[in-house]
Amino acid sequence: MRRRPMVWVGLLLGVGLLGWYFWPRSAPPPPLHPSSPRILFAERSVPIPEDNPQTPAKVALGRKLFYDTRLSKDNTVACASCHKPEFAFSDGGKAVSTGIFGRKGTRNAPTLTNVGFRRHLFWEGRSPRLELQAVGPLTAHDEMGLEPEELAQRLQAIPEYAQAFREVFGEPPSLRAVTYAIAAFERTLVSYNSPFDRYQAGDDQALSPAALRGMELFFSEKGDCFHCHVGPDFTDDEPRNTALYTVYKDIGLARATGKDEDVGKFKTPTLRNVALTAPYMHDGSIRTLREVVQHYNRGGEPNLNADALIRPLGLTDQEVDDLVAFLEALTDTSFTTNPALLPPGGQGGAP
Amino acid sequence: MKKGWLVFLLLLSAHALAVPVEIKVNLRVGDRPLQWGQTYQTPQGQRYQIDLLKFYISEVALVRPDGREVRVDGLALAEFKRDGPTQGVSVMKLDVPAGQYRGLRFNVGVPRELNHLDAGTQQLPLGVNSGMYWAWNPGYIFYRLEGTALLPEGNQKWVIHMGTDTFRIPVRLHDLQTRRVQINIPPGGGVIVLNLDVARAFEPGPGGVFVDWRKQPLRQLHGLSPETSLLMSVVYFNMQTAFSLAQ
Ligand code: HEC
Ligand code: HEC
Repeated sequence: MRRRPMVWVGLLLGVGLLGWYFWPRSAPPPPLHPSSPRILFAERSVPIPEDNPQTPAKVALGRKLFYDTRLSKDNTVACASCHKPEFAFSDGGKAVSTGIFGRKGTRNAPTLTNVGFRRHLFWEGRSPRLELQAVGPLTAHDEMGLEPEELAQRLQAIPEYAQAFREVFGEPPSLRAVTYAIAAFERTLVSYNSPFDRYQAGDDQALSPAALRGMELFFSEKGDCFHCHVGPDFTDDEPRNTALYTVYKDIGLARATGKDEDVGKFKTPTLRNVALTAPYMHDGSIRTLREVVQHYNRGGEPNLNADALIRPLGLTDQEVDDLVAFLEALTDTSFTTNPALLPPGGQGGAP
Repeated sequence: MKKGWLVFLLLLSAHALAVPVEIKVNLRVGDRPLQWGQTYQTPQGQRYQIDLLKFYISEVALVRPDGREVRVDGLALAEFKRDGPTQGVSVMKLDVPAGQYRGLRFNVGVPRELNHLDAGTQQLPLGVNSGMYWAWNPGYIFYRLEGTALLPEGNQKWVIHMGTDTFRIPVRLHDLQTRRVQINIPPGGGVIVLNLDVARAFEPGPGGVFVDWRKQPLRQLHGLSPETSLLMSVVYFNMQTAFSLAQ
């Protein structure tokens, strides 16, 4: 902690030098979130793919599309129907989501907190980038259910969209352009202002004693959560079997690979804002954080594919509560209320 | 050096002799032309309609009487949509030397080297605008057949999405031994007409297994899921003989 002022001085000097060096040629783009606090993890920036540079107009278009139900076959479903900002962009309280024509899916809608950092998307982690992931819900028959041609025609018929796509992409609306705009918006869904982040940044008061004890457990060999829930977003982005069931109804990664050893493997989810995203696990089968921790404490159900890390942990009730307190300290309400991320006013309102 | 020139000249002359050929497809159900909105029956007596068919053709080669192949580059996406034409639909244009052939072969699918490139940056017929990109399982759907099952409990949509490198469908329509297969490409160019029996997908497999739409999981056949992989294999083998040369 004591070294921190030196780091800041160094950083400021560095920034100053860089600013001086670059000043005559280009001013840096305005930050997308002027309100983001300057704290530890915020220093890393969301990776932006070369073929989809971030511009304010593109992000604005993506935001509009994200909240627009006209992107679905029956005009009732938007991305935000299942990824609601107040629940950290998950489907508040619902085990599985409902798509067009009331069709129910089979999986729990994950949070989109810091989703721009995920290297693998979907529960089995088989999609490599946000642009391509978005093709899934837009075309899936139980989510939004539009064919590429139909989506393009619809948006072309809405003058403000026709114009916005021409301005942003220099081409008429298409499924591809829609996914590029939405991905640009998703890359602004960054959250770094939880009590845990403030503690990391040096605020000793940010975490309660219970949360502090929970943090120790989380990162210890006893709780052993940190091997999978690792890094700034508490995920290794890898598919793992947590012995949730002996027989998995949803077989997870095996659906894509056909391999027996992949049955029951799902991508480790981020734990940021996890207190807002109940119910839990790929199928939304666990209602509360306490029950999730108890699942780990029991060592799960007998399962041949279970990860070696899953075993009875021998945590006391107090320790279980402490872990829950720590998980609750990962909540960032400045994220869920950030006006830049909420539905834009005007046309195509929120679902 | 000399050899190089020879090859160059040979290539040049081969190219000069190449004439335009079009591959056209007739959709069939059994031996009748497919009609949108018409109700058909599987061998097991399940009633259905066809709503959509799209598939990729690639790695086309015409086979000469001596067995050598004239390979054709390129990839095409064949599309058949409700209320669109189903007979004599042009699906691919190629250039091959005029002459006698003993048939052709092709794959239904996207070549492996194209199947895993970044679909965000690929152009039609690939890319996400094709409607064939598989978001949760990178790669393309090779053969996409969709329809409606008319079940006692009501109508249910079903899909067969065949893809992944395991399910690239080889179609072999050549015969060197007998003279049954003859394709004549005249000097002015020509047309190769194929029949595709879409109902072939529903033929039963080993032990009589079949795509039973009464079972909810079987209405979504895709990928390598162990739950449905047996039926995917059945459809896959059926599809290898679903194409035939017309006339
Ligand atoms: C009907 C509900 C529904 C709609 C509408 C929906 N999603 Fe999702 N979303 C889900 C579910 C369920 C999953 C998990 C699916 C899976 O992994 O198989 C998911 C997963 C995701 C993921 C992966 C996150 C991760 O960490 O792996 C992203 C990103 C995402 N959705 C973005 C979007 C976008 C963008 C849209 C609009 C184009 C959208 N979603 C529309 C329900 C929905
Ligand atoms: C072997 C890797 C691994 C370990 C160890 C692990 N997790 Fe998980 N965690 C996962 C995976 C994978 C899932 C999703 C499993 C599923 O849906 O089937 C998950 C899900 C969760 C969820 C639900 C998140 C959501 O959005 O649904 C919470 C909360 C959680 N873990 C907390 C913990 C805690 C606390 C510990 C330590 C006691 C821990 N995990 C240890 C891999 C792990």
